[in-house]
Amino acid sequence: MHLRRLILTNFKNYEKQVIDCSPDINGYVGLNGMGKTNLLDAIYYLCMGRSYFRFTDLNLVRHGEDFFRLEGLFSIEERAEKIVAKVGKGRKKVLERGDVPYQRLSEHIGLLPVVIITPDDTSIVNEGSEERRRFVDNTLSQLDPIYLRHLITYNKVLKQRNSALKQMAANNRYVPDLLSVYDEQLLAPAAYIHEQRQSFTVDFEPELRRLHFVISGEREQVTCRYKSQLLEEELSTLLQQRREKDRILQRTTAGIHRDDWVFEIEERPLKKFASQGQLKSFVLALKLTQYNWLKKEKKSSPLLLLDDIFDKLDHQRVQHLLELLTQGEYGQVFITDTAQDRLSKILSNLKTQYLQFVIFNGTAEPSSS
Amino acid sequence: MNFSSKLIEEAVNAFASLPGIGKKTALRLVLHLVGQEEEVSENFANAIVKMRKGIKECSICHNISDDDICQVCANKSRDHSLVCVVESIRDVMAIEDTGQFRGVYHVLGGVISPIEGVGPSDLNISSLVHRVQQGEIKELIMAISPTIEGDTTIFFISKQLADHEVKVSTIARGISFGGELEYADELTLGRSIVSRIPYRVRE
Repeated sequence: MHLRRLILTNFKNYEKQVIDCSPDINGYVGLNGMGKTNLLDAIYYLCMGRSYFRFTDLNLVRHGEDFFRLEGLFSIEERAEKIVAKVGKGRKKVLERGDVPYQRLSEHIGLLPVVIITPDDTSIVNEGSEERRRFVDNTLSQLDPIYLRHLITYNKVLKQRNSALKQMAANNRYVPDLLSVYDEQLLAPAAYIHEQRQSFTVDFEPELRRLHFVISGEREQVTCRYKSQLLEEELSTLLQQRREKDRILQRTTAGIHRDDWVFEIEERPLKKFASQGQLKSFVLALKLTQYNWLKKEKKSSPLLLLDDIFDKLDHQRVQHLLELLTQGEYGQVFITDTAQDRLSKILSNLKTQYLQFVIFNGTAEPSSS
Repeated sequence: MNFSSKLIEEAVNAFASLPGIGKKTALRLVLHLVGQEEEVSENFANAIVKMRKGIKECSICHNISDDDICQVCANKSRDHSLVCVVESIRDVMAIEDTGQFRGVYHVLGGVISPIEGVGPSDLNISSLVHRVQQGEIKELIMAISPTIEGDTTIFFISKQLADHEVKVSTIARGISFGGELEYADELTLGRSIVSRIPYRVRE
């Protein structure tokens, strides 16, 4: 599976841009703020139906315009697939496959598997549990449409339940029956999500360890443990027990929306004890594990988007990463960098086909070198 | 839009305040009325005022009605032990148009959705429970949208009726008539297979 051509209209700082892509490696060079990352986000958007960097749809529209359009011509097993995303002010966002709009955006997820690696990914370890759930959900949703559907249902019911708790407090009118209904509606999606997250963690960990070793060159053992209230107690019991607490706090205090993952290095929490270097190695290993996992389960190589990682990673880790890339384990790759000579050197060492573009103020020009 | 007349402008604004009517359509309607006899506009306005002043809510089922009790509830030949529970008046009209239903209705006025500020007490649920308590009703057919909020509403109502001997059913959800299997979404197709119906050969 690969992207053959990308067409951007009014997307971030691009007015109109057509980019032809190499099925192997694509390099985008330019100074900061010129729009390299926006290109990667455009590709991510076509795969996942939204921005990786959590821009709202309207914030992706070029300044002063009132819509954007993204078109990607993909090849999936020799078959051409045209994906178009259209967002405009006051209109519903549309995502089309072969000129037919999707009824639900979620139906698109998984068709074009993608993994993006950015300098900010250390937030997966450093920030709150939401970041880790987002990472796991992103991975599992691309593999299992049922997981995604249950997740959407769970989140909707949860929102209604929390809203009901707030209103009951505001109106001073407690309706236990309604809470029981929401509890009941949470159970089936929660059970499925919990089970998938559990088995995912078990399968994920060995590969994470292996890749962490390759990248860091260190022998330290990393582990990854799934933490969930549901491991201790049935959700129905938990919800029952915490009814009073939920009422007082006006939100749902038990459920899979509180799940977390604990990453450890030599049995110590990575969050507290890892050096900056160790942290970067770990996150890179995490993302490449995600890549390998998707590749194995999907039986096709996901798109790999590498944002500015040569700038942020030290020489040794870059070398390890490049070794992985040259081993031919990867499909189509998009790399951005600020230094043209560095990227040219790296790409020419890879001995595979590559296309390089220079990005300047929202325009992309093929580069001769 | 520039109007040469204040009167026209007011009339256009009035029409344009209705759902689905924009300024241009509103102007077309107004100019049409200008071209007609005065009487046409008078009759038109009277019909609306008469409707609005006279329209009532049925005290039994909350359907719209000319009288205190709507035509459906007043009809003795309909089956009053079979009640179809719907979200809105439009659903009553849709089901009536099928000609397949000979029972009576109960209009909830929406579904439970606290996000939109709609709690159980904002809907006609207690009057439904009251109707069931009177003992005449044998079955409630929940003809409610197959959404999460719809499910919440059905579930909540059934809980309120747990102590009563009334059968609660929901309308079938599945492949639409004349639809083709390959175009049905996974969820619908999956559910349709799970809740399949025994096939009987007609005698």
